[in-house]
Amino acid sequence: MVSGCLARVVYSDVKHNFLIHYIVALCILLASPIFFSLSQLDSILAAQPLELYVPLIGVVLMTPVFLPEQNESIYDIVRSKKINHDIVCILRLICSVIVILCMIGAYVLYMKNCNSQVTVRYFIGSSATALFLGAIGFAFAGIGRNVVVGYMASVIYYILNFSFGTKLGYFYLFSMMHGSFIEKKWLILIAFCMASATFPVRRIIRN
Amino acid sequence: MMLFCMECKKIFSSLTYILYSLLVILMIVSQYFMEGGEKVYPPSQGDYDYGEKIVEDHDLIMSTATDALTVEFLSNRYVCYPFGFYKAVHLDNEEQAKIEKYICEITGLDSEGIAEKKKNADVCYITDGTHDYGEYAIRDMPISVSMTYERFTDIMDDVDDILGGGSDYAVDGLVYKFSRVPMTYEDAVEDYNSILTDDRVTNAYARLFSDYAGIVLAILPVFVAAALTAADRRRRMSELIYSRRSSSLRIVFTRFLALVTTMFIPVFVFMVIALIQILIRYNGADIDMTAMFTLPTFWLLPNIMAATATGMLVTEILSAGAAILVQFVWWFMGLMAGGTAGLSGRIGKFTFICRHNALGNRSGFIMNWNNFVFNRVFYMVISVAAVLFTVGIYELKRGGSFNGIRLFGKGSIFRRKA
Repeated sequence: MVSGCLARVVYSDVKHNFLIHYIVALCILLASPIFFSLSQLDSILAAQPLELYVPLIGVVLMTPVFLPEQNESIYDIVRSKKINHDIVCILRLICSVIVILCMIGAYVLYMKNCNSQVTVRYFIGSSATALFLGAIGFAFAGIGRNVVVGYMASVIYYILNFSFGTKLGYFYLFSMMHGSFIEKKWLILIAFCMASATFPVRRIIRN
Repeated sequence: MMLFCMECKKIFSSLTYILYSLLVILMIVSQYFMEGGEKVYPPSQGDYDYGEKIVEDHDLIMSTATDALTVEFLSNRYVCYPFGFYKAVHLDNEEQAKIEKYICEITGLDSEGIAEKKKNADVCYITDGTHDYGEYAIRDMPISVSMTYERFTDIMDDVDDILGGGSDYAVDGLVYKFSRVPMTYEDAVEDYNSILTDDRVTNAYARLFSDYAGIVLAILPVFVAAALTAADRRRRMSELIYSRRSSSLRIVFTRFLALVTTMFIPVFVFMVIALIQILIRYNGADIDMTAMFTLPTFWLLPNIMAATATGMLVTEILSAGAAILVQFVWWFMGLMAGGTAGLSGRIGKFTFICRHNALGNRSGFIMNWNNFVFNRVFYMVISVAAVLFTVGIYELKRGGSFNGIRLFGKGSIFRRKA
């Protein structure tokens, strides 16, 4: 019964609130051949689209998790419902993460099919970057209670990676292009911590 | 004036503006003050490398570009950077035949002549990606005596079209790509002297300052503008403002002016700091006291205006998220195209993010001065036009005949009608 109720929440949420974000993320991936060559790439060249471009879907899909209830009056109505709002947001977040992983997986498989040298490590590396960028947006949007702040934080971090490069150490997003994967586990860990910490911090600030 | 002050106050206290200011400070301090804007010293004789300079030599361009095109034609592998990223283009037989026809026209050779050149050239096998290909070392392709530079540029334009754009043969990039020569000691001294005499120091530093600041100012203002524009709807203040006596023109333009003014303040503060730094470093030199204000203002203001106008217009029509997406795509393409164009000197008529990442190379910048002026005025005019369009949209919303295209909530285009 509970699972049926949650399934209904997910279905309704995807249909009414998240469909547009899924479409935008899909369009971003489909537009990538305009910018990049995807066939017959060696491991370094293959990392370019997988680190510079594909992770942007993380920003598109994870940042707007709190968007539907950003308006205070809508939030008050949602809060009065039986299902806890945080649970709905966690479900949205899980859906977004699953869609991110599926999209990146399909993209990597397509590159593999085009004879590019990509492996499972590339899938994990690209996903880690996407989840980290998305988690920054998610955390700032949740804590700042404004989705624009979330987008802004993600984009600022993305720009900083162009300017500061390897000086960012374990938090450098484009390490795969330099043949290094060690940063990726840190990105996944920090992304998980940021996403988990967002809910209590958000509640503390509100109270 | 009161409305202007109220809007400024609102912007100053917004989180997006605080984040904007922090990143502008971080970028200018880390890039300009800590890395780029150091004192320039005269070149010392006997240095290994003085860099390169661009000379607009048509014979040199035709010769080196034809060699490069022939090498790529023989491998059927054309390296392009349409948006700053590597793209290897392989043409089909029909397109290859067109390229061959053009090479024949430029060189005066026929197909057999090109085949002969291929046969006599050294070949080295290179692995590119997962693909091995033979690259023929051809450096002496003849140029037909009847070939004019005008016809040559027409051919190069067609070649670039066949390759899908972003190739080395794009007409506006021929000079930068194929007309570079190594600088001698005398050239290096001349370049140094031009910083002191022609640029009067500050012009050179103003270009570098604008180059660094321009990157972030082409994207960040959209966040502040979108957040402010969306705030009325979010706080349910739209109806209250709509009922006021002030005209839509006054409300929207005042908001635009407030946004541009407030976002220019951190940049202006750093202009003053940069000027003070130059005065201390070049004590006694003939320094242009106004250049550190005039050039960066003319360079950077259109970036702030364009990003702000995009933020306001798209937020009024769609949403803040859509405005950010539109500006991000524009910024990303502009940044990558700017990087491919070479970081100094090459500024096109419609280059959004102008780059000149060098203190010297004044001649390269001056070569494009007309393009630069057109470009900056164009973006200012486009921004004002976008704000006027926003006024129209705002007026329609005020009159109740348009409520924006909603993506969420009541009236959403994705919501099924009952």
